[in-house]
Amino acid sequence: MSRYFRRRKFCKFSAEGIETIDYKDLALLKQYIAENGKIVPSRITGTKARYQRQLAVAIRRARYLALLPYTDRHS
Amino acid sequence: MRHYEIVFLVHPDQSEQVPAMVERYRGIINADGGQVHRFEDWGRRQLAYPIQKLHKAHYVLLNVETSQEVIEELVQGFRFNDAVLRHMIVRMDEPVTETSPLAKEEESKPAPAAKSDDADESSDEDSTEDNAEEAAEA
Repeated sequence: MSRYFRRRKFCKFSAEGIETIDYKDLALLKQYIAENGKIVPSRITGTKARYQRQLAVAIRRARYLALLPYTDRHS
Repeated sequence: MRHYEIVFLVHPDQSEQVPAMVERYRGIINADGGQVHRFEDWGRRQLAYPIQKLHKAHYVLLNVETSQEVIEELVQGFRFNDAVLRHMIVRMDEPVTETSPLAKEEESKPAPAAKSDDADESSDEDSTEDNAEEAAEA
Protein backbone atom coordinates (compact mmCIF):
# COMPACT_ATOMS: atom_id res chain seq x y z
CA MET A 1 0.00 0.00 0.00
CA SER A 2 1.35 3.36 -0.96
CA ARG A 3 -0.81 5.07 1.67
CA TYR A 4 1.68 6.06 4.28
CA PHE A 5 0.85 6.95 7.83
CA ARG A 6 1.54 10.45 9.00
CA ARG A 7 1.56 11.86 12.51
CA ARG A 8 -1.41 14.11 12.97
CA LYS A 9 -0.61 17.83 12.84
CA PHE A 10 -1.71 19.92 15.76
CA CYS A 11 -1.64 23.53 16.77
CA LYS A 12 0.95 23.93 19.51
CA PHE A 13 -0.53 27.19 20.68
CA SER A 14 -4.12 26.10 21.19
CA ALA A 15 -2.94 22.76 22.60
CA GLU A 16 -0.64 24.36 25.18
CA GLY A 17 -2.84 27.34 25.86
CA ILE A 18 -0.28 29.93 24.78
CA GLU A 19 -2.31 33.11 24.41
CA THR A 20 0.21 35.60 23.11
CA ILE A 21 3.30 34.83 21.08
CA ASP A 22 6.35 36.79 22.17
CA TYR A 23 8.83 37.91 19.52
CA LYS A 24 11.61 37.44 22.09
CA ASP A 25 10.94 33.70 22.49
CA LEU A 26 13.48 32.63 19.89
CA ALA A 27 13.42 28.94 20.78
CA LEU A 28 9.71 28.88 19.97
CA LEU A 29 9.91 31.00 16.82
CA LYS A 30 12.76 28.92 15.42
CA GLN A 31 10.42 25.92 15.28
CA TYR A 32 8.33 27.84 12.76
CA ILE A 33 10.99 29.05 10.38
CA ALA A 34 12.36 26.82 7.65
CA GLU A 35 16.04 26.18 6.99
CA ASN A 36 16.17 29.16 4.61
CA GLY A 37 14.63 31.52 7.18
CA LYS A 38 11.13 31.55 5.70
CA ILE A 39 8.03 31.30 7.87
CA VAL A 40 6.62 27.78 7.60
CA PRO A 41 3.02 27.85 6.28
CA SER A 42 0.27 26.80 8.66
CA ARG A 43 -0.83 24.09 6.20
CA ILE A 44 2.44 22.36 7.04
CA THR A 45 2.56 23.04 10.77
CA GLY A 46 -1.16 22.82 11.54
CA THR A 47 -1.12 26.10 13.47
CA LYS A 48 -4.55 27.68 13.84
CA ALA A 49 -5.08 30.83 11.76
CA ARG A 50 -5.33 33.07 14.79
CA TYR A 51 -1.95 31.96 16.05
CA GLN A 52 -0.35 31.87 12.62
CA ARG A 53 -1.09 35.59 12.29
CA GLN A 54 0.43 36.32 15.69
CA LEU A 55 3.37 34.10 14.87
CA ALA A 56 4.03 35.93 11.61
CA VAL A 57 4.05 39.30 13.40
CA ALA A 58 6.37 37.94 16.10
CA ILE A 59 8.79 36.53 13.51
CA ARG A 60 8.82 39.80 11.57
CA ARG A 61 9.62 41.75 14.72
CA ALA A 62 12.39 39.37 15.66
CA ARG A 63 13.80 39.70 12.14
CA TYR A 64 13.81 43.47 12.31
CA LEU A 65 15.87 43.32 15.49
CA ALA A 66 18.29 40.86 13.88
CA LEU A 67 17.28 38.15 16.31
CA LEU A 68 16.25 35.96 13.37
CA PRO A 69 17.53 36.02 9.78
CA TYR A 70 15.36 37.10 6.86
CA THR A 71 17.08 34.53 4.66
CA ASP A 72 20.00 32.11 4.74
CA ARG A 73 21.77 34.21 2.12
CA HIS A 74 22.82 37.09 4.33
CA SER A 75 26.44 37.91 3.67
CA MET B 1 -0.26 57.03 29.86
CA ARG B 2 0.28 53.92 27.85
CA HIS B 3 2.49 50.90 28.09
CA TYR B 4 5.30 50.49 25.64
CA GLU B 5 8.06 48.02 25.06
CA ILE B 6 11.28 49.50 23.71
CA VAL B 7 14.20 47.53 22.32
CA PHE B 8 17.26 49.25 20.95
CA LEU B 9 20.58 48.11 19.56
CA VAL B 10 23.72 49.99 20.50
CA HIS B 11 26.97 49.99 18.58
CA PRO B 12 29.26 47.43 20.28
CA ASP B 13 32.07 50.02 20.57
CA GLN B 14 29.70 52.27 22.52
CA SER B 15 28.70 49.53 24.97
CA GLU B 16 30.12 51.42 27.96
CA GLN B 17 27.63 54.20 27.30
CA VAL B 18 24.65 51.91 27.78
CA PRO B 19 24.15 52.43 31.56
CA ALA B 20 24.38 56.20 31.10
CA MET B 21 21.91 56.13 28.21
CA VAL B 22 19.43 54.04 30.19
CA GLU B 23 19.74 56.41 33.14
CA ARG B 24 19.07 59.37 30.87
CA TYR B 25 15.96 57.73 29.38
CA ARG B 26 14.80 56.73 32.83
CA GLY B 27 15.18 60.36 33.91
CA ILE B 28 13.11 61.59 30.93
CA ILE B 29 10.38 59.05 31.66
CA ASN B 30 10.24 59.66 35.41
CA ALA B 31 10.28 63.44 34.97
CA ASP B 32 6.97 63.16 33.11
CA GLY B 33 5.42 60.92 35.77
CA GLY B 34 6.05 57.72 33.83
CA GLN B 35 7.46 54.50 35.14
CA VAL B 36 9.94 51.86 34.01
CA HIS B 37 8.44 48.43 34.72
CA ARG B 38 11.15 46.25 33.29
CA PHE B 39 14.73 46.86 32.30
CA GLU B 40 16.90 44.18 30.74
CA ASP B 41 20.39 44.41 29.38
CA TRP B 42 20.92 41.48 27.02
CA GLY B 43 24.51 42.47 26.47
CA ARG B 44 26.41 42.04 23.22
CA ARG B 45 24.66 39.55 21.00
CA GLN B 46 25.49 38.09 17.63
CA LEU B 47 23.25 39.64 14.95
CA ALA B 48 21.35 37.29 12.64
CA TYR B 49 22.51 39.45 9.72
CA PRO B 50 24.97 42.35 9.51
CA ILE B 51 23.68 45.86 10.22
CA GLN B 52 25.98 48.69 9.11
CA LYS B 53 28.62 46.00 8.50
CA LEU B 54 28.57 45.05 12.17
CA HIS B 55 28.06 41.51 13.38
CA LYS B 56 27.42 42.22 17.03
CA ALA B 57 25.34 44.73 18.92
CA HIS B 58 24.41 45.56 22.47
CA TYR B 59 20.68 44.94 23.10
CA VAL B 60 18.62 46.79 25.69
CA LEU B 61 14.98 46.16 26.56
CA LEU B 62 12.75 48.58 28.44
CA ASN B 63 9.10 48.19 29.38
CA VAL B 64 7.71 51.59 30.27
CA GLU B 65 4.47 53.32 31.07
CA THR B 66 4.57 56.82 29.71
CA SER B 67 2.91 59.45 27.54
CA GLN B 68 3.12 59.76 23.78
CA GLU B 69 5.19 62.98 23.99
CA VAL B 70 7.93 61.19 25.91
CA ILE B 71 7.94 58.34 23.39
CA GLU B 72 8.33 60.85 20.57
CA GLU B 73 11.20 62.46 22.44
CA LEU B 74 12.89 59.08 22.90
CA VAL B 75 12.47 58.25 19.20
CA GLN B 76 14.07 61.58 18.28
CA GLY B 77 16.92 60.68 20.61
CA PHE B 78 17.37 57.27 18.97
CA ARG B 79 17.30 58.73 15.45
CA PHE B 80 19.96 61.32 16.10
CA ASN B 81 22.18 59.12 18.20
CA ASP B 82 24.73 57.41 15.98
CA ALA B 83 25.42 54.82 18.67
CA VAL B 84 21.88 53.44 18.29
CA LEU B 85 21.84 51.08 15.31
CA ARG B 86 18.18 50.21 15.46
CA HIS B 87 15.20 50.63 17.74
CA MET B 88 11.70 49.25 17.98
CA ILE B 89 8.81 50.44 20.11
CA VAL B 90 5.74 48.26 20.53
CA ARG B 91 2.58 49.29 22.35
CA MET B 92 1.58 46.84 25.06
CA ASP B 93 -1.73 46.33 26.84
CA GLU B 94 -0.31 46.02 30.32
CA PRO B 95 2.93 46.34 32.27
CA VAL B 96 5.25 43.39 31.86
CA THR B 97 7.64 42.64 34.69
CA GLU B 98 8.69 38.99 34.36
CA THR B 99 12.01 38.12 32.77
CA SER B 100 11.82 37.75 29.00
CA PRO B 101 12.70 34.39 27.39
CA LEU B 102 15.82 35.97 25.88
CA ALA B 103 17.17 37.15 29.20
CA LYS B 104 16.42 33.75 30.76
CA GLU B 105 18.43 32.11 28.01
CA GLU B 106 21.36 34.43 28.80
CA GLU B 107 21.22 33.45 32.47
CA SER B 108 21.10 29.73 31.84
CA LYS B 109 23.84 29.81 29.22
CA PRO B 110 27.00 29.82 31.40
CA ALA B 111 26.18 26.59 33.26
CA PRO B 112 24.19 24.04 31.20
CA ALA B 113 25.21 25.28 27.77
CA ALA B 114 25.88 21.81 26.37
CA LYS B 115 22.49 20.53 27.50
CA SER B 116 20.49 23.32 25.88
CA ASP B 117 22.46 22.85 22.65
CA ASP B 118 21.50 19.18 22.57
CA ALA B 119 17.86 20.07 23.07
CA ASP B 120 18.04 22.51 20.17
CA GLU B 121 19.51 19.89 17.90
CA SER B 122 16.88 17.31 18.67
CA SER B 123 14.07 19.78 18.02
CA ASP B 124 15.68 20.69 14.71
CA GLU B 125 15.73 17.04 13.74
CA ASP B 126 12.05 16.75 14.55
CA SER B 127 11.16 19.66 12.35
CA THR B 128 13.17 18.36 9.39
CA GLU B 129 11.47 15.00 9.74
CA ASP B 130 8.13 16.76 9.63
CA ASN B 131 9.17 18.58 6.50
CA ALA B 132 10.26 15.35 4.84
CA GLU B 133 6.94 13.78 5.66
CA GLU B 134 5.07 16.72 4.26
CA ALA B 135 7.16 16.61 1.13
CA ALA B 136 6.26 12.95 0.70
CA GLU B 137 2.62 13.88 1.00
CA ALA B 138 2.94 16.54 -1.65
